[in-house]
Amino acid sequence: MKYMLLFIKDETEVLDEAELKARYAAIDVWFGEIGRDGKLQGGEELQPSSTATTIRWRDGSPLVTDGPFMESKETVAGFVTVDATDLDDAIAITKRWPVKNQTVEIRPVIAHEAMPNHPAG
Amino acid sequence: MNDPTSEAINAVFRNEVALICGSLVRITGDFDLAEDLVQDAVVIALQKWPVDGVPERPGAWLLQTARRRAIDRLRRDSAYRSKLQLLTDGWAPEVHQDPDDRLRLIFTCCHPAIARDAQVALTLRAVMGMTTSQIAHAFLVSEATMAQRIVRAKRKIVDAHIPYRVPDEEALPERLAEVLAALYIVFNEGYLGSGPDLATSRDLCTDALWLCGLVARMLPAEPEVISLLALMRLHESRRATRFGAGGALVLLRDQDRAHWDHAAIAEAGALLEQARRLGSPGPYWLQAAIAACHAEAPTFEDTDWPQILALYGALVRLNPSPVVRLNRAIALEHVAGPAAAMEELDALRVDLDGYHLYWATRAELLRRFGRLDEAAAADRRAIELTDNPSERALLEARLDPNALRAIGANNN
Repeated sequence: MKYMLLFIKDETEVLDEAELKARYAAIDVWFGEIGRDGKLQGGEELQPSSTATTIRWRDGSPLVTDGPFMESKETVAGFVTVDATDLDDAIAITKRWPVKNQTVEIRPVIAHEAMPNHPAG
Repeated sequence: MNDPTSEAINAVFRNEVALICGSLVRITGDFDLAEDLVQDAVVIALQKWPVDGVPERPGAWLLQTARRRAIDRLRRDSAYRSKLQLLTDGWAPEVHQDPDDRLRLIFTCCHPAIARDAQVALTLRAVMGMTTSQIAHAFLVSEATMAQRIVRAKRKIVDAHIPYRVPDEEALPERLAEVLAALYIVFNEGYLGSGPDLATSRDLCTDALWLCGLVARMLPAEPEVISLLALMRLHESRRATRFGAGGALVLLRDQDRAHWDHAAIAEAGALLEQARRLGSPGPYWLQAAIAACHAEAPTFEDTDWPQILALYGALVRLNPSPVVRLNRAIALEHVAGPAAAMEELDALRVDLDGYHLYWATRAELLRRFGRLDEAAAADRRAIELTDNPSERALLEARLDPNALRAIGANNN
């Protein structure tokens, strides 16, 4: 069962170089562990929301605007997809995430190969 | 055939439904489907048994009825075919029953990824065999709202792959806390919502006590389960004395202690000692120990308030919620006087402005100071904030000048 972990963080947080280095070292350990367990599927860290571009459709025509889809102090900062046995496994993986001042949303991923119609469409 | 009273039928459901539902979840791997089949059988039993009597082997009857419903569905809905095949192929007259199925079922229903009100509703349906209509009635919401809550939770169990399993040792304390919170809500709903006449179709206190007893038997080394059982028994021991003439609530100090169930109180005391040997005091142990102090006092005046205050102090350290602090303030009044208690109440005002018991407590304290007009205003605020008819009756009696004198006399 595939789950996406959405990492939400406060973008106003400022870290000095040493703090940043320590954080990335801890995150590397976390990735190493789930990779070793064969549960890591993929993931990316994202540039800040100030770099976001949003497209909405108005009466069928695309409207391109600067900024994220929702203005908020907290934004999605990255995502990881994991192959977990069930929700408890996904929760256990997420609980080991080393950064404790963030929020993580766990979303089960739809297995499209089993679906005749893509519900997102 | 047994006597088909509603209590006899409820007892059958308590004994059979979770076992049947649990084994069907295990066989089909589909919580939603299995739970629906059992619920169908429950609804049919509630129509038939009061007329025809309870069958000799009610478990087998429920299982057979669930099986017929499964076959009906198979005819209607091809999507279920593969799962129902599992049921019809391997379905011996009795599905193999594993006692642990009940515990797995309870932990699935009370998974922290499910909202608390839905945990409670799912447990009552899947484990206790209550119907959606009975649950909606007990929690004072419409049947449509309750049905939607249950459907959404069941979809989440299936779509997010919430496992059907007793959590491992590492996750157990946290997961058990979820189960106990849900059970205590069921008990409190029965206790506070019941009112003087217990003519409701299902007594939630009995259900909660039964279920907590079951969890205690299945997890005998968990002190908080035993403590919650003790706490429920202690509340239950005073239940008969909680309502006076006209259905008004009778406060602890005015209850007739001779009519408390002293055997149940002694039993709860033994449970508390047992729990204490198994681990350090948790929140339910502390609450039960406080209830035991009250229950064991021969008169209200003999209550060991310093002990209760100390227990509340420990509880505040574990759970510094405003409601716990309010209760501690009441104990503080008896140890350090009304001024100290009032100071605490003033500090809690912002947090508890919308809580009727805050205002009822404040009114009592104001009366100690002779500030009768302010006390009456606080009681009126409490009345505005509660829908419970027994609590309203008590508060309204306090506002009645004749009744007020009577209560004032009791306080001295």
